[in-house]
Amino acid sequence: MKKFTKALAVLSMFGGAVFSTQALAEPFKIGICYDLSKAYTFATPQVSQAAMDLAKLINMKGGIGGEPVEVIVRDHGNEPQRGIECYSKLSREGVFVFDTLSTPVSLAILPRAMEDGRILMQSLVGRGDAVDGTVFDWVYPIGPTYWGQAANDVAYIKQLHDGDLSDVKVGFVYFDYPFGQEPIEILETLSEKEGFELELYPVPLPGSDQAGVWSKVRRDKPDHVIVWMLGGAHVVASKEMKRNRIPMDKYISVNWLNEVDIANIGKEAAKGIKRGTNVVGGQDIALYQEIMAELYDKGEGSGPIEKTQDVFYNTGLAMYSIMFEAARKAAEAEGLPITPTSYKAGLESLEGYDANGLMAPVTVTAEDHGGGGKTRIEMWDGETWVPQTDWISAYTDVVWGVVKESSAKYEQ
Amino acid sequence: MFYRLSGVHHANYVSDSRIFKVPADRNLTAFIFLIGLAAPFIIPSLYLNSYMLPWLIWTAAALGLNLVTGWAGQLHLGYAAVMAVGAYSSIHAARFGVPWEFALIIGGLTSSVIGSLFAFAALRVKGLYLALTTLAMQFVMDWVLTHSPAISGGSHASLQSPTLALLGQEITTDTGFYYVAFGWCVLVTIFMLNLKRTGLGRALVAVREKDFAAAILGVNSFYYKILAFATSSFIAGVSGALLVATFFFLAAPEQFSVAVSIQVLAMVIVGGLGSIIGSYFGVALILLVPGIVNGLVVTLSDGLGMQIDVETLAHIPNAVYGALIVIILLIEPLGLGKLYGNIRDYLMVWPFDQFKK
Repeated sequence: MKKFTKALAVLSMFGGAVFSTQALAEPFKIGICYDLSKAYTFATPQVSQAAMDLAKLINMKGGIGGEPVEVIVRDHGNEPQRGIECYSKLSREGVFVFDTLSTPVSLAILPRAMEDGRILMQSLVGRGDAVDGTVFDWVYPIGPTYWGQAANDVAYIKQLHDGDLSDVKVGFVYFDYPFGQEPIEILETLSEKEGFELELYPVPLPGSDQAGVWSKVRRDKPDHVIVWMLGGAHVVASKEMKRNRIPMDKYISVNWLNEVDIANIGKEAAKGIKRGTNVVGGQDIALYQEIMAELYDKGEGSGPIEKTQDVFYNTGLAMYSIMFEAARKAAEAEGLPITPTSYKAGLESLEGYDANGLMAPVTVTAEDHGGGGKTRIEMWDGETWVPQTDWISAYTDVVWGVVKESSAKYEQ
Repeated sequence: MFYRLSGVHHANYVSDSRIFKVPADRNLTAFIFLIGLAAPFIIPSLYLNSYMLPWLIWTAAALGLNLVTGWAGQLHLGYAAVMAVGAYSSIHAARFGVPWEFALIIGGLTSSVIGSLFAFAALRVKGLYLALTTLAMQFVMDWVLTHSPAISGGSHASLQSPTLALLGQEITTDTGFYYVAFGWCVLVTIFMLNLKRTGLGRALVAVREKDFAAAILGVNSFYYKILAFATSSFIAGVSGALLVATFFFLAAPEQFSVAVSIQVLAMVIVGGLGSIIGSYFGVALILLVPGIVNGLVVTLSDGLGMQIDVETLAHIPNAVYGALIVIILLIEPLGLGKLYGNIRDYLMVWPFDQFKK
């Protein structure tokens, strides 16, 4: 009997705890449904750690509009049905801003978010045509699309060749599935427009065998190679380039190239490698220094400090700075509590926001949910990333042509 | 006591070949069916649309795979590819303006044709070689999907599904979607229950046990294997189409990747080859347990105020889930269905069998 009463007491305590939290005011919450255990683990730990650190920092400074903020991190293992489960569960707990950082899951949640009127952030993943705000009301892929990134890479190459691409040869090495195939259309259009020669080199998944690809690159002698691959595939590529005596500075990677890959290639060996990016690399950033001083130096960080010395941590800071800034704007404009509509208005009032020099300035409008899609090219000099260009978004007419063509299909 | 056997005599073949030989089984099934019918009114909508609905559709799909793997004994590693064929062809049909009833059947038939075409080539080999050939089919499908925008539809190869409408009624609510999934799962279950007691079912079992022995008895093993592939592909096709129409609302190649094929096979094996109730359990374990364990671990660590970093938190459920599969298969290699069977057998004459020991 005693045991029973004890159990009852514990139960009622739990019950009490549940009720008491409900009685408090609802903080602004962001639902982070990430793949922390399968395919996207090369980036998700750093990004979610950035989100948690940023939330802590904001709460230390008094939250947004005087209310604390909360980020809820859950794992979905890159499985669409578990992503939907995470979305349904958290949206019943009052969350209306979601991020998945996974293309399959983002695709699976998109129809529901559109139907339910909840904000789906999908920076750097998911369907690129979602930047078209006239079709995708509730989806905000803030940051560059792969189309925009590829166009910016071409603009950079044009800059290198003094504005004349007529006798330039550009190779495109890509994972042979939708992620890698996406820029092809843009590159082909630009090749016609600018007159450069384009060579395509598909790499079969998972990218561990690229011997054939790079010996073909050696024979074709392209002046630059734009690369759409991830993680370990960069390391394989760099080995094959060494074997084929292709200089490293021909390599222009998509934004998915980080310090872990550089370390695996070798800091010296990677000298000259380039990547497109929408965030500033390295640790010389005001926000980063502030987090170090306020959290990590006091032992309050949300994870190991090594994970913060990674460009994907900066990417995470950029993504969540935007989300919290929008919440702040929403709270300023329409007060608390923040609703999906006021949050949407908050996002669309962002203008030239760069989180104090952390990333490319972002201007979101009702038409352009991508925030302008600016990137720049950075080069690894053996120690750190050196910017090669300003923040640019080039060929916007061509990019938006593809966006409109694609988003029109969604409406059908 | 639970399964009253007194008065149950099977004196002729018709009576002996009933689906439910013991009234208690029939009553239990009827009871579960009624719960299924009442589910939208008694189960919170979160559990209805993110647990029950995918569970039922995947169960229907797993039953289809069980037909070819459990009954006909042919290992199939390309099942998700067949589901993809059904899903894409019915969505395209529906987008073209074909009513959904026919679009679903078109999806099923296309799957059936492509599935059995492949089987024609694949069935010239047996066992592990067949498994590899079906795996090849999966890769061929993956390649076709990612390389033909006409099939997979525009940006990031995702194809929007039109609103599901059956019998002139647009279906848009959670309850509606649930009943569609429930109806399809019940239909497949009834088919499978009846398969057991038909000549076709017995022929399939004969082929499974030893195909040349079956041939000596006059069972054309090649014909029955093709038939098994065609039927299971039909079920796969319709299940795939319904999965997209009622749950994903949008088809993408990742939903039908090789990992999914292996998952379905795991559902069938953990559930029990050739077991219908086992398929239900197997799907629940493979599909739902990771999410549930994840939720439990998170609640537990929150409740105890532990500071575990998110990455570890995400891996603990995976470890628990893996261990669970190993433990279950160690306890009962024939799967969860057999585990249920053991309990049922134990209770069959309980408590009277205790006197014997």
